[in-house]
Amino acid sequence: MGQMIDMLCSGHAACPGCMEALSLRHVIAELGPDTVAVIPPSCLAIMAGPQPFSGLRIPVYQPTLESSAAAASGIRRALDVRGRKDTHVVALAGDGGTYDIGFQSLSSAAERNENILYVCFDNEGYMNTGAQKSSSTPHFARTSSTPAGKHSRKKNLTEIMAAHEIPYAATATPGYLDDLLQKVRKAKSMRGLRLITLLVPCLDGWGVPDHFGVGLSRLAVESGVFPLYEVEDGARYKLTGPGKTRPVADYLNVQRRYRDVDEAEVEQLQREVDAGWQRLLEKAKPC
Amino acid sequence: MNTAALPPTAWTTGTTEVFKTGTWRAALPLYLHRPSPCRSACPVSGRIADWIGLARAEDFYGAWTALVENNPFPAVAGRVCHHPCESACNRAGYDAAVSICALERHIGDLALAEGWRFPETPESEDRVAIVGGGPSGLSAAYQLRRRGYAVAIFEAGRELGGLLRDGIPPYRLPRAVLDGEIKRILALGIDVHTGVAIANTEQFLRLHGEYDAVYLAMGARRQKRLPQLDYGKSRVMDGAAYLAAANAGKPPALGKRVAVIGGGSAALDVARSARRAGHEVSVIALESEAQMPAQREEVVQAKEEGIALYDGALLQSVSNGKLQCLRVNFKGNNPLEFTKIAGSDFILEADAIVAAIGQDPDLAALRPLLAVDGALLRTDASRATSLEGVFAGGDVASTARFVTQAIGMGKQAAAEIDRWLMGDEPLGTPHEDTVPGAAINTFYHPRAERPAASTLALGERLHGYAEVKGGFAAEQALAEAARCFSCGRCTFCDNCFQFCPDMAVRHVPGGYAIATEYCKGCGLCVQECPTGSLVMREESR
Amino acid sequence: MSTKRVLLTGNHAAAWGARLARPKVVPVYPITPQTPVLELLTEFQAAGEFDAEILTPESEHSVMAACIPASLTGVRVFTATASQGLMLMHEVLHYAVGARAPIVMVNVNRTIGSPWAFWPDQTDSVAQRDTGWIQYYVENAQEALDTVIQAYRVAEGVSIPAMINLDAFYVSHALEPVAIPEQELVDAYLPPYRPAHFLEPGRNESWGNVVTQEMYYRHRRDIGAAMDRVPALAVEADRDWELATGRGWGAIERYRCEGAEIVIVTMGSMCGTARDAVDALREAGVAAGLVKVRLFRPLPSAALRKALAGARDVLVLDRNFSPGVGGVLHQELRAALYGMKSAPQVHGYLAGVGGVNVPPDRIVHFAREARASDAEPEPVWVK
Repeated sequence: MGQMIDMLCSGHAACPGCMEALSLRHVIAELGPDTVAVIPPSCLAIMAGPQPFSGLRIPVYQPTLESSAAAASGIRRALDVRGRKDTHVVALAGDGGTYDIGFQSLSSAAERNENILYVCFDNEGYMNTGAQKSSSTPHFARTSSTPAGKHSRKKNLTEIMAAHEIPYAATATPGYLDDLLQKVRKAKSMRGLRLITLLVPCLDGWGVPDHFGVGLSRLAVESGVFPLYEVEDGARYKLTGPGKTRPVADYLNVQRRYRDVDEAEVEQLQREVDAGWQRLLEKAKPC
Repeated sequence: MNTAALPPTAWTTGTTEVFKTGTWRAALPLYLHRPSPCRSACPVSGRIADWIGLARAEDFYGAWTALVENNPFPAVAGRVCHHPCESACNRAGYDAAVSICALERHIGDLALAEGWRFPETPESEDRVAIVGGGPSGLSAAYQLRRRGYAVAIFEAGRELGGLLRDGIPPYRLPRAVLDGEIKRILALGIDVHTGVAIANTEQFLRLHGEYDAVYLAMGARRQKRLPQLDYGKSRVMDGAAYLAAANAGKPPALGKRVAVIGGGSAALDVARSARRAGHEVSVIALESEAQMPAQREEVVQAKEEGIALYDGALLQSVSNGKLQCLRVNFKGNNPLEFTKIAGSDFILEADAIVAAIGQDPDLAALRPLLAVDGALLRTDASRATSLEGVFAGGDVASTARFVTQAIGMGKQAAAEIDRWLMGDEPLGTPHEDTVPGAAINTFYHPRAERPAASTLALGERLHGYAEVKGGFAAEQALAEAARCFSCGRCTFCDNCFQFCPDMAVRHVPGGYAIATEYCKGCGLCVQECPTGSLVMREESR
Repeated sequence: MSTKRVLLTGNHAAAWGARLARPKVVPVYPITPQTPVLELLTEFQAAGEFDAEILTPESEHSVMAACIPASLTGVRVFTATASQGLMLMHEVLHYAVGARAPIVMVNVNRTIGSPWAFWPDQTDSVAQRDTGWIQYYVENAQEALDTVIQAYRVAEGVSIPAMINLDAFYVSHALEPVAIPEQELVDAYLPPYRPAHFLEPGRNESWGNVVTQEMYYRHRRDIGAAMDRVPALAVEADRDWELATGRGWGAIERYRCEGAEIVIVTMGSMCGTARDAVDALREAGVAAGLVKVRLFRPLPSAALRKALAGARDVLVLDRNFSPGVGGVLHQELRAALYGMKSAPQVHGYLAGVGGVNVPPDRIVHFAREARASDAEPEPVWVK
């Protein structure tokens, strides 16, 4: 790994210990310099830097919040006609810009199977505006727009996108860096619309210390809350992570956003995670 | 922002590197080579994490070289060391301590099998005399010789090895191993005088006059005796005498039943040797089984071998082969600290009694010249005695009666002698905080079982003096080396580099450096360090 | 040079204009009455006659969202829409201007809901007048074709997107003989698009990063300066086109305005009807003329002041309605003429709102009525 060439620049304005910055660093380093990035409003756009100082060593286009997939499609087509078919186009968007306002254009780009890589940096809320709920915010999590905890469940982006039968849909998180890099590498080698749902714990939004993002990312996986897997062509499921080895409570207890959950809610979350895990296992079963 | 510096359009063409985000920071990560707890606990201060790291990388010669920097006896110590390193091992608090001792033996054995030798060193004119050819004396001789001194060893016995030869039975320490490691030391070019005791003051003064420095390491050979016993009787004897005879292949005839008094390694060595000589053996120890100073493994194996253990027991008197005993509650390290349990009397019958309750040095020849502390020679923190140029270590100067303690004192004395001969200040023993277990990110260390070394089948043990404990197979050794946390020794795993969200960890020749102008002080690098080689230090501006 | 003359609808003529301009990326979404533009371009492409990436996203919003960065990637971009589609694009119309992306878009003017209707009405595009797009209004199919090509010259000359508006059905679906110029002629007229800045790996250039107040101010001022250059550039582009094809349209067109006492001012298909009305009025001895506003954004105020100087009455016919104000062109013109020495009085008639038919005799009637009265400050609803 020593030969890594960074495409993210020091001096960006992400919070200390930011998992999104860390993930961004690795995603774009793995993609390499022959890449154009699309970054909608999000914490990623903060990292992209204030004009005229870019946080990325690759060209970045910042579209409106809801337009990442459409914008990436436009760039893709323009590069294609300019003969740059091998240049990577990557959309680097948050969960608000993906699960919510950007979902329509993403679904359409997926249907068209545009040759782009879409990475959703999922921190489960509108963190850049001060931690409001998005449709990615999980059940019972407290945000500044759900002060009593969210009453509905998190949308399952990866499954919805896999149902588009796109070539590649995968989950990843920086706590399993090798897995993340492997998935970016695999996605990079494919054509068509590829999606990576990248869980990035938000230190401030979720309420954990600056040094704990990677650890929390691992707890999410180990508790089965965020299983690591990939789906090819909407059909071929493969688990890539370590499996579910911990109770959900281990994951919840360390986060401020869950500090008011009661026992019944923890049990319900455990049931939801268990059921989701079971469904996934069945899909990943060898035929 | 200076608007004059803006480009003519709203395109972005610069980099955020102009923003020195290091100013946000309240604490800075610091690469720190703190000692591992195993090293701090090690009597020879061995670079354990280093040599295990080399072994992990399959550089066994490198591992051996690092090992013998501090101890020329890895094959011996890998068998008989009481391994406080393993008790201190951070991994003990996670799954099980790394099997350091067995790994050391593996490397030591490999070195003997491969015939690896120490590098030759030319001799200088400075000469050092060493009195006593046991582990401490040989350790000092080795360290001094490697520093270029001319060294002479004066050993009272016929052979070198001291307690290693006379006190430790071959089923624990095969003689080929002991001889091999001694021979390798002597190959450095050491002047050996066996059968030469420093028996009186004149002989000592002559030695002192002839040599530039002297290291006294003649051990503790005077057996402590129990007042309850009549040593005049034929079947009452000292443990050391029994072991010396048994180890030389001539166990004394002691009848059918032998009672051994004592709870230390020597007592168990006597008991197990006697068992191998065909006796029915009982051990009477003042300590409870858990308190016994012998290594746990020895106690377990002794019981396996059919030795009856009476722990927490005091021998009160003996008459006509009947041992009057009483159960006691033993409190501390001092043999006098116990309370008798009323009504717990019992009688043990034995044809012979061997007492192995400790030994004191024989200081008769030195007492007029050197200061003593009770039964020991007095030494200061630099192992110097009260007489200029005379140093002492091992059992003659310490109650820490472990082989590797003796080797460690020999090593320390050599360093201090070197320093003294060079006219430098004493080195002393600097204290550094060791890496705490909490500093290790165990995510990078999947739980793995500590491998058990093979032991000789019970049936085969009692027919002779074959070594009881087996060594590691090569793959076992590699797997075990992989379990080491490498506390405080950076393994260049790159985690600190990889996990920095700010690209503030840079590769530099020999390791890493923090780019302080960008480090925001999040502490991720410290958190994700699998070896505890980084700490956060608060900064004040 | 031989030109082909064929019968084309306004939509198909616009599609031909697009084909000849050789855009490389065409994101487009179907909507009545624009759909034939999309269909003909996809037919061209299927036949191998149109070398462009056509993408069909799920909405006009995504269409424009794709247009902008495609343009910033250094290629020529075309699209077309109408009515609700244009409304949905509103946010990204602004964004395109900020990005200085010289996209050319055809908009077929159609009523905007609710209630649902499909009639010619220019409220959709005049409502976009503050987005910063250059806006043309064309009167027939030939002008639609010619203007698409001219618009690229202008838009790329100032890095501002341009919208060509044609009235639903009256222009979009009416068949007219159209001269299709040779590709070589168009290529000579419109050189390949080569922007100074574009997104490409290896070029250290990004777009959209947050700017300071100062930079935002400068950026908006720069857009204003670019817009200020448009009228002259539009005139030049039109003159060059006329030299090449024999057809010129002007930024504004003056029709029989010599000595006119009353001048009708309007945009789009209404101009054709107004021309007949002017002829009728002249025949009846009324000194009437027509000023066609072809370039609405930026409004060629100087040219309009000059064209209308000397007239006593100006009659603005607005096929659009801004509730609370009235006709948008009426408002614009009053503002443009304000402070002018012996300015004409400006009558604002809301004629044809919702697509109601306004035949020439009605316009003759409106002109006579206007001549006979003082201009009202309020708009006048007429049919």
